[in-house]
Amino acid sequence: MAAESSTRRPEGAIDELMQMLARVPESSASFAEVKVIAMLTRPLHATGRLLYRRPAHLEKVTLEPQPERLVVDGNRLTLTEANETPRIIDLDAEPAIRALVDAIRGTLSGDLAALRRSYAVTMEGGVSDWRLTLTPSDPGVARLVTRTTIAGAGTALRLVQTTQANGDEIRMTIGPAP
Amino acid sequence: MAALAGAALLTGLVFSHVEIHTDMTDFLPQGRSDAARLMLQELRSGVATSLVMLGIEGSPPDALARISRDVTNALDRSGQFAFVSNGADRLLGSAEQQLLFSHRYLLSSVTTPEAFTVPALHDDMQRLLRGLQSSAAPLVQQFGSADPPGAFLAIARDWRGISKMRSVHGVWFAPERDRALILARTHAGGLDIAGQDAVTAAIRQAFTDAEPGNARLLAIGPAIFAREAAHAMRSDVETLSIASVILAAALLLWRFRSPWMLGIIAVPVMLGIAAGALVVQLAFGFVHGVAVGFGMTMLGVTVDYPVLLVGHRKQGEAAPATLRRIGQAFTLSVITAALGLTGMLFSGFPGLSQLGCFSVVGVLVAASVTRWLLPRLIVAADLAPVAAEDPARLLRVERLRAWRVWGVGACAVAGAGLLAMGGPRLQSELAALSPVPSAALAVDAELRGELGAPDAMSIALVRNKDADSVLRAEEELLPVFDALIAQGVLGGVEIAARYLPSAATQLARRSDLPAPDVLATRVVMAQEGLPFREGTFRPFIDDVAASRTMAPLLASGIIGGLIAERLRPLIFQRGRDWYGVIAPSDLRQPERFAAAMRAAGATYLDVTAEANGIVAEYTNSAWRWVGLGALAALVAIAAGLREPRRVVRVVGAIAGAVLMTIAVLTAAGVRLSLIHIVSLQFVAGVGLDYALFFARRQLDVEERARTLRTLVTCNAMTLLTFGLLAVCRTPLLRQIGITVVIGALAAFVFAFLFAGQRPRATAEFA
Repeated sequence: MAAESSTRRPEGAIDELMQMLARVPESSASFAEVKVIAMLTRPLHATGRLLYRRPAHLEKVTLEPQPERLVVDGNRLTLTEANETPRIIDLDAEPAIRALVDAIRGTLSGDLAALRRSYAVTMEGGVSDWRLTLTPSDPGVARLVTRTTIAGAGTALRLVQTTQANGDEIRMTIGPAP
Repeated sequence: MAALAGAALLTGLVFSHVEIHTDMTDFLPQGRSDAARLMLQELRSGVATSLVMLGIEGSPPDALARISRDVTNALDRSGQFAFVSNGADRLLGSAEQQLLFSHRYLLSSVTTPEAFTVPALHDDMQRLLRGLQSSAAPLVQQFGSADPPGAFLAIARDWRGISKMRSVHGVWFAPERDRALILARTHAGGLDIAGQDAVTAAIRQAFTDAEPGNARLLAIGPAIFAREAAHAMRSDVETLSIASVILAAALLLWRFRSPWMLGIIAVPVMLGIAAGALVVQLAFGFVHGVAVGFGMTMLGVTVDYPVLLVGHRKQGEAAPATLRRIGQAFTLSVITAALGLTGMLFSGFPGLSQLGCFSVVGVLVAASVTRWLLPRLIVAADLAPVAAEDPARLLRVERLRAWRVWGVGACAVAGAGLLAMGGPRLQSELAALSPVPSAALAVDAELRGELGAPDAMSIALVRNKDADSVLRAEEELLPVFDALIAQGVLGGVEIAARYLPSAATQLARRSDLPAPDVLATRVVMAQEGLPFREGTFRPFIDDVAASRTMAPLLASGIIGGLIAERLRPLIFQRGRDWYGVIAPSDLRQPERFAAAMRAAGATYLDVTAEANGIVAEYTNSAWRWVGLGALAALVAIAAGLREPRRVVRVVGAIAGAVLMTIAVLTAAGVRLSLIHIVSLQFVAGVGLDYALFFARRQLDVEERARTLRTLVTCNAMTLLTFGLLAVCRTPLLRQIGITVVIGALAAFVFAFLFAGQRPRATAEFA
């Protein structure tokens, strides 16, 4: 399988993957997130649910340890933490957050153009077991993020791992919906 | 020929030596109070006038963002701008952000003794931890270890302020439409026309170079308006002058069959203008562009003088013979016109005084030249109208005077109509004198709103000896504003002290900061039980330590960039004093705001009302003085004609024309402004010529025919030239054109009907 796909043009594989992903109208999953932050002595853990609906709706609902609801709709990001009033962020005004959103939403929607707006994209493996490496091409984004890796099998995402420029790491493992 | 060249040379010489001002400040009267004077000065020539706002629209958002970037970079490189921003620097540029960040513990109200205690710091750290846990971690991390109390974020929130702009593809967009916005300030002042020409060229070039495709550029700003208005007016005037010269020339050639006639007319007119400008320069120290512009309109009267002279000359006649026939009417007409214009001289309205002076001198000089220099030239060039035609035709025309009673009736109807309409309505808004089309003003208001540029027309002012005292005075008012906002009187205030606390406040905050070792111990204690690594808050401890010896940030220390742009209109020095502007937003109860400001010792100013009040006051006084001028003219006519019946006829013709013009304008919904005062004076001037020439006594048929045809020529010239004005783009010129066309036509008809001899006698003998 791997040998077979490696003989193909890499563009062919990535296009095939993207077309597959683009056909998914809606998906939901559970996630477990681990943040390794330099200023902290221990990693931060969080768990919750993910929901995606074509083409531009993405929800990340954190249940533990600190309830939070993050909804991205088009260019608008709404972050509701616990009992606080929702924070609305215009993604165009916050390139760092936009890049993080683009990485996940671009992949889920199979929108290679959106991914390439902020990143250089490379793919390893075949469509049944793939790994995309996103390296920021925009200097503004590169100041914050060194690399984002997204791995999956077919249309199911399994891992989103972001290495920040300051060395901090966010690793999100994705599993089937509870 | 030599005379013509000489006159042209002299005019050129005068205009290359007089100092022409175009600043409306010099033309308009000063305000009634110090504060009003200051604000009017600011409105006309202050910081606000070098503001340029650009909007780019008509393409997809990504294209607009790219154009916005390209244009901004090009403008920045052009060297014409003190400041250009399209929002790509995210409201605060890095240098400015650094300045605010380093001074955060002096500038932010977050700084209190309590903020640096162990419990407070512990709470801050817990909040930070929650932030790191949340999805907002990337934002929180940015300043987390250097500023756990959040002083900088509080400042940044204040600075983001009132603008409603969106950020699209990283640049400013209008809140409700796809329009990229750029804010800039020119080095050149708003009244520096040459400088603004260069600015406009730079903007056009930058936009063209950005390959805009379908996108449109909106360039708005006081300076651009002034420049565009001047250009539109100039191009109007150029096109119209050429057209009207051709038309008038054709008319004169047809009438007098000699190209010399044009030169003969040009000599007195040019000398009149030159003399007028020269005397104004000597008397006032400078000549205002508007006075020259309007003055030339008034001197249109003098174009008739040579025509009257030549038109009455018999073929081959020596000059003194012609002068003997028309001398008295001519002299009386000139003296009366000059007296009528004298009123403006004493109006107290600087621009009107200049205009009066210019016109009086111009009329007298042009008349003198016509009287004493032209006769020789005319005889030399043998200028005279083509031979008179059939006198019977004249008589038929004169029989029309039997309809005189209808003329009186028309005047009565006009008068009654005017009374029924409640008299003429006077224009008292400053905007009416502005040559800027109202459509452009609407775009201006729209862009201002979108950019959050201050355009408060109701403001309060505090004044003090230096910037810091102004800031202190404003700080004392902060509780007052908070109360007013709580009571719903207004939505908020734009005030310098919100952004920049006074030195005293900054020093007080500085003294609240704990010593480095104290803070270090407290941070360690506050960290207890939280998973922060040792040394995480070192930057915080170091920055607080540095703040303890930091000098307060003063207004003078903020140069360039968006911060300075925000502060400059709010706090500035004029003369020896410093002023702070308090600009309310969403003002719902102006009178309560005004009362609160007066009670607190600040000066309240309704800028629009103030400006309009001044204009109204002086416009009224201008009308009074014009009335007095008319009275003087009346006395002159009475003294010159010495025959009550003829006086009544002459004055009736002019009064009828003026009344008719005002009635027609009022019926059309026009409010009478300075422009109409000027135009009506002109109407009265030509009307005087018509009436006095028609009213001459003991004329034979031939001379009456000459008079009629000469006056028809004069009237046709006036109608042609001013008729063209009535169709031009500049509203101001259009108003002049319409008024003069109505007035001159009415003046001619009434002068013919009222002032001329009744046809009865001639008709009986015929």
